[in-house]
Amino acid sequence: MDRAIIVDHLVKNFEVIQKEPGLTGAVKSLFSPTKKQVHALRGVSFSIQTGELVGFIGPNGAGKTTTLKTLSGLLYPTSGFVSVMEYDPWERKPEFLKQIALVMGQKNQLWWDLPAIETFELNRAIYELNTREYEDNLKELVELLEIGKLINIPVRKLSLGQRMRMELTAALLHKPKVLFLDEPTIGLDLVAQQKMRDFIYEYNRKYQATIILTSHNMDDLVDLARRVIVVDEGKILFDGALEELVEKFAKEKIIKATLAKSDGIVDLEKIGKVRKLAFPEVVISVPRNAIAVAAAELLQNFAVDDLTIEEIPIEDVIRKVFKGGIFGK
Amino acid sequence: MNKYFQIFKISFQEEFTYKINFVMWRVRNVFQIIVTYYLWDTIFSAPGREVFGYDRAKIMTYIFTLIIVRSIVLSARAVDVSSDVAEGNLSNYLIRPMSYFKYWFTRDIASKVLNLFFAAGEFAILFVILKPPFFFQTNIYVFLSFLMAIVLAILIYFSLLFIISAVPFWAPELGWGSQFLVIIVMLEFLSGAVFPIDILPGVYQKIVMSLPFPYMIFFPVQVYLGKITGMSLIQGFVISIAWAVALYLAMRYVWSRGLKEYQAFGR
Repeated sequence: MDRAIIVDHLVKNFEVIQKEPGLTGAVKSLFSPTKKQVHALRGVSFSIQTGELVGFIGPNGAGKTTTLKTLSGLLYPTSGFVSVMEYDPWERKPEFLKQIALVMGQKNQLWWDLPAIETFELNRAIYELNTREYEDNLKELVELLEIGKLINIPVRKLSLGQRMRMELTAALLHKPKVLFLDEPTIGLDLVAQQKMRDFIYEYNRKYQATIILTSHNMDDLVDLARRVIVVDEGKILFDGALEELVEKFAKEKIIKATLAKSDGIVDLEKIGKVRKLAFPEVVISVPRNAIAVAAAELLQNFAVDDLTIEEIPIEDVIRKVFKGGIFGK
Repeated sequence: MNKYFQIFKISFQEEFTYKINFVMWRVRNVFQIIVTYYLWDTIFSAPGREVFGYDRAKIMTYIFTLIIVRSIVLSARAVDVSSDVAEGNLSNYLIRPMSYFKYWFTRDIASKVLNLFFAAGEFAILFVILKPPFFFQTNIYVFLSFLMAIVLAILIYFSLLFIISAVPFWAPELGWGSQFLVIIVMLEFLSGAVFPIDILPGVYQKIVMSLPFPYMIFFPVQVYLGKITGMSLIQGFVISIAWAVALYLAMRYVWSRGLKEYQAFGR
């Protein structure tokens, strides 16, 4: 397997002008601007194989989008090495741009006042697709995303979910081999989210496309990404399989028990943190290293019908990652 | 090439989606012409009156030629570039295999063609109503020189606009202000769009004529009217070509620096 994306010690600093609040602050910053360095990425390294689907997770402002923007050639790296399919993204060579796509949930390339088909036609010319390729790709995307009736309606009249599917179509008409998806399901209803996920899955499988996806949507990650990269404050904190993330970072395990009697039920607090109590079912979370003791205590002191020990659900771990609290800060 | 033809086509379509807007924009232009006409008509109402060496017929000729030149040179869509940079919409273009400069140049040309088409119609109507003393240039060489002056004017304006639009790379909130200063204030006054440059005293005239501004309006108008000929015509072309080249190179330089600062705002 060859490596489609290589990133080595990537650093990106931004200079931002700080402004104090109010009018006085605005006037002040006009005459003596206070500049501040923002370290968006502090030495990020990873590589991704052709055909892999990787999820980028982390709290807001962690550097996920900055990474995607650098990989697609929008941002000039402060230092470090970046290579996407052996191209330097910054050079933005046409041969490179013809093989990638960046889809940002809130930015649009569609012409607002015209039907989406006009943007598609324009992209056909820009990406220099021949008629056959264009028609085949368009037909396929239209079917997969179920947008047949919508392509002749002016974009401004479409709903957000409909528009997102149009954006995706416009971005994928040239069949990119590398796809950067920034929050692809943001603002979509549940049905539309599922459709989008199915589509991404299919696209990855069918074309062996390399995909990096950032998302705050749990289901996107659990359904799609086998490998995740956790980013926080411009650094990579974890890079590996989704299941390992749980083993590594869940400091607690869960005991689920069914009780025969409700006697002394208040004393459950002594064993561990009671997460749920709906007699006869109880759910208690206990530190990983004390799990055996806790289970023994439970069996000894209570009338237990049934007992299981489980890992913390993956969703809980990811939720912690989003809050930026995974490493016990 | 096909790329840019498609952009031309789609730009045209977009202009037509807001028909009322477009019509109102043209109505505004017509009013502007009428106001200018009556303003100067009043100033020169006394028979035989001359101001700064211009009599009624001369100034009217200047004004009406100005209207045409203005609608060709100064109608540009690239005024939106500055907000593209400040708001991060630029990303949508950088990600696709096409030249951003050529993209906007194509859109400008589409806009110019459309505006010229309508301006010609309005001109014909106003001409019949107001019957101004308009000078039709019949000398083919003078006319060709005029066309060349127009092409140079378009190039100078385009590069200038793009240089100004790069300001938000460094200071996103200064986009509109810098555009206002250069495009509205300096350009209007120094290009000859408000008054002919040759009413200025000698020294000031020389200074202004060495700047790029008069080569966008004043110079093409004077060439059309046959007022600049021989050596001074050549001198004018040399200066405007020099500016066109210098501003083009400056634009490339400023943009290659600016793109390194680009922060792709808005997610």
